[in-house]
Amino acid sequence: MLTYITRRILMLIPVLFGVSVFIFIVMRIVPGDLAMTILGNNATPESLHQLREDFGLNLPLYVQYFNWMSGVLTGDFGQSMRTGQEVLPDILSRFKLTFELTLISAFISWIIAIPLGIIAAVKRNTNTDFGVRLISLLGVSVPNFALAIIIILVLSLAFSYSPPIEYVGFFENPLQNLEIMIIPAIVLGSSMAGAVMRMTRSSVLEILRQDFIRTIRAKGARERIVIFNHALRNAMIPILTIIGLQVGTLLGGTVIIEQIFSLPGLGQLVLTAINQRDFIVVQGAVLFIAFVFVFINLLVDVLYSYLDPRIKYK
Amino acid sequence: MLKKWSLLLLVLVLSLIMSACSEESDAGDEGEDTSKGAAQELKIANDQEPAGLDPHKTPAHSSVRIYSKIYEGLVSLDENMEIEGQLAESWDQPNDDTYVFNLVEGVQFHNGREMTAEDVKYSFERILDEETASHIASYFNMVDSIEVVDDYTVQFNLSEPSASFLNNLTNASAAIVPEELVEENDGDLQQVAEGTGPFTFVEWVPDSKVTLEKNEDYYIEGQPKLDTVSYYTMKEEASRLSAIRTGEVDMTTVGAKSSSLLEDQENVEVIDYQSLEYSYVGFNVDKEPFNDEKVRQALSLATDRDKVTEIVWDGDAEQSGPVAPSMGEWPIDVTEAELYNRDIEKAKELLAEAGYENGFETEITTASTYPDMVDTAQLLQQQWAEIGVEASINQIEWGEYIDVWSDTSADVLIGRNGSGTDPDRSLNYFFHTEGSANVWNFSDGDYDQLVEEAEMESDQEARKEMYVEAQEEIINLSPNLFLVSPKNYVAVNESVADYTPYAHNAEDIVEVTKE
Repeated sequence: MLTYITRRILMLIPVLFGVSVFIFIVMRIVPGDLAMTILGNNATPESLHQLREDFGLNLPLYVQYFNWMSGVLTGDFGQSMRTGQEVLPDILSRFKLTFELTLISAFISWIIAIPLGIIAAVKRNTNTDFGVRLISLLGVSVPNFALAIIIILVLSLAFSYSPPIEYVGFFENPLQNLEIMIIPAIVLGSSMAGAVMRMTRSSVLEILRQDFIRTIRAKGARERIVIFNHALRNAMIPILTIIGLQVGTLLGGTVIIEQIFSLPGLGQLVLTAINQRDFIVVQGAVLFIAFVFVFINLLVDVLYSYLDPRIKYK
Repeated sequence: MLKKWSLLLLVLVLSLIMSACSEESDAGDEGEDTSKGAAQELKIANDQEPAGLDPHKTPAHSSVRIYSKIYEGLVSLDENMEIEGQLAESWDQPNDDTYVFNLVEGVQFHNGREMTAEDVKYSFERILDEETASHIASYFNMVDSIEVVDDYTVQFNLSEPSASFLNNLTNASAAIVPEELVEENDGDLQQVAEGTGPFTFVEWVPDSKVTLEKNEDYYIEGQPKLDTVSYYTMKEEASRLSAIRTGEVDMTTVGAKSSSLLEDQENVEVIDYQSLEYSYVGFNVDKEPFNDEKVRQALSLATDRDKVTEIVWDGDAEQSGPVAPSMGEWPIDVTEAELYNRDIEKAKELLAEAGYENGFETEITTASTYPDMVDTAQLLQQQWAEIGVEASINQIEWGEYIDVWSDTSADVLIGRNGSGTDPDRSLNYFFHTEGSANVWNFSDGDYDQLVEEAEMESDQEARKEMYVEAQEEIINLSPNLFLVSPKNYVAVNESVADYTPYAHNAEDIVEVTKE
């Protein structure tokens, strides 16, 4: 197990290296540059040249990449070209928010999706099943941003309520923090719930059709035991895969939701930086998100062997 | 074990109750405070995050509205757009190319040090230093040298007479900064701010808020009235609308189309004012068929500006020439201009004279980031089709758009311009052959001479006449088709008093109080 994990961690290196090269090149292929974005119609050739020099944008590409990478490897992600802020501390403080939002959304989606998915599987092809499937279809199909704006409108027009505008961290004021997070989390959670629900249903259904379940039932086990101790546990593997992928996707997918709810998270950082062509920030943040994504999927793989002891890693 | 848990639970519940109680009593206190007239806090929601706080390096409006409360310049514009003193209480002009400013005495920077003529010299030398790469350097390239006469007198020597010099000084970016602040921060003021203005900088929480506090030592007696101003970044308009409806914020900008949504809201008033911007269509005048002025004139005649106002701006915009209609005494009445009155027959004649009796095909480039620009492009596409000009639309993202604008890689480009408060900027900088913002390859010798002379003319009346001629000329030659100048809208809570926006200073809050 330990050798497996070590090997997987070593495999992160080429993946992250690939991501870093990719995002570096993409940011330089994209038309538009920072100096021009800052100066707009006030630009003169001299000021443009000076700004590009300040930002190191007129150095050869491989030198720019090398300078950036050698900083990253020593923990220095550089400074925002636009605001002069240190990139890594900014990423970490924003990651706290985005991570919390992801966890709450994921939690909300599980408590909705897994029970409903099981019910749908057990009562397949009944009206309950159709109802659950309809809900999950809605969850998957209604776009996040539309749901978010509808909720904001309804709350403000019908209930004169608007979520607190000033973000506070969970450890500063847990109640207010949750008040801020709960609506965005519900919006994100509901779209994730749809997919998890469908996966739970089909996965549990498949297990229920297998021989060992028939054997257990034949032994006279109670249905509750059959479902929870045997079927669900075996069905968890594909569900967990989906959850792992989705938590990763959520980390990147909070961009729009953070913008709509004015949450100073990682998504907003990336979006603002892309619009302003703040290369250093985009590169740092994307690399960081890639790292978290790969790490979570590693965690999921390790969990497999816990759920199904037959899975052994060598 | 059980005992331990129940004890923990008890402590938790108690602390929750206590925090709830303390919150309530806080709220009670605040209520009393405001009735006594203390604790004046204004919350403003903005659509963009500031791009930095260095006045010499950051032209973004999202930054200007904040640093203009912290920093001040030598002179400013009053409500009639006349120049009045700010840090300079008076000034003389011993000859055409010399200005002497007498500074207000006893003005302190927020760090407690007195502001003197040395600081003025330092600030303008920083602006003009190529290493600063200041966006405002081009406004002051006529400045030859700056002399400190004594602590409260500073002299600007210009290389040639400049009629727009004083007006350029009113720009919020022509701010006086303390040298020690620049040095402590290695030349970078994007994260810090210490000026002489009515508010001091407290903190900037990225993508969340910027907080300013009252400058207790402000040199103008009785200003400002507010104790705290918080600028919140809320990019989503629906969220800003929700926050202003429920009173979470006191003030916010809203778009033309959303302003009507707030009409029924009793606790909110929507105040509008004419902006200093105008929308335009730019042509690459080196490229066929746009190298022929008849083609450009034909397109102007085929353009229905009333429809642009009606459809793109919900009926709330004024027709504009190269100088926006709200720019004081300078703009001409464009509704009289021949090319502004739609005439399809005449447009077709002009096209035929230019050799395009069957029209031509072209592409209109516009920025997808701004819905009004996309709407404008679609409208023009329909209107121009009536004279046989078949246009397709190319929508691009803002960063790419700026690239396309600067290297003129589009034949037809929809845009919006703001050109400050002096016509020299609008006419010289944007359309002179050598003008830095003349990206259209436009060049006309007579026009160049006219705007050069106007900039050197010290007699205001004569200068005004020249600019009238220049505006007529540029409208006639049509390197750009100037369309309309939109309004801006500010939604304000009923508790905010004494707030009046002006086109050149829309977010001035020194006189604002909360009831």
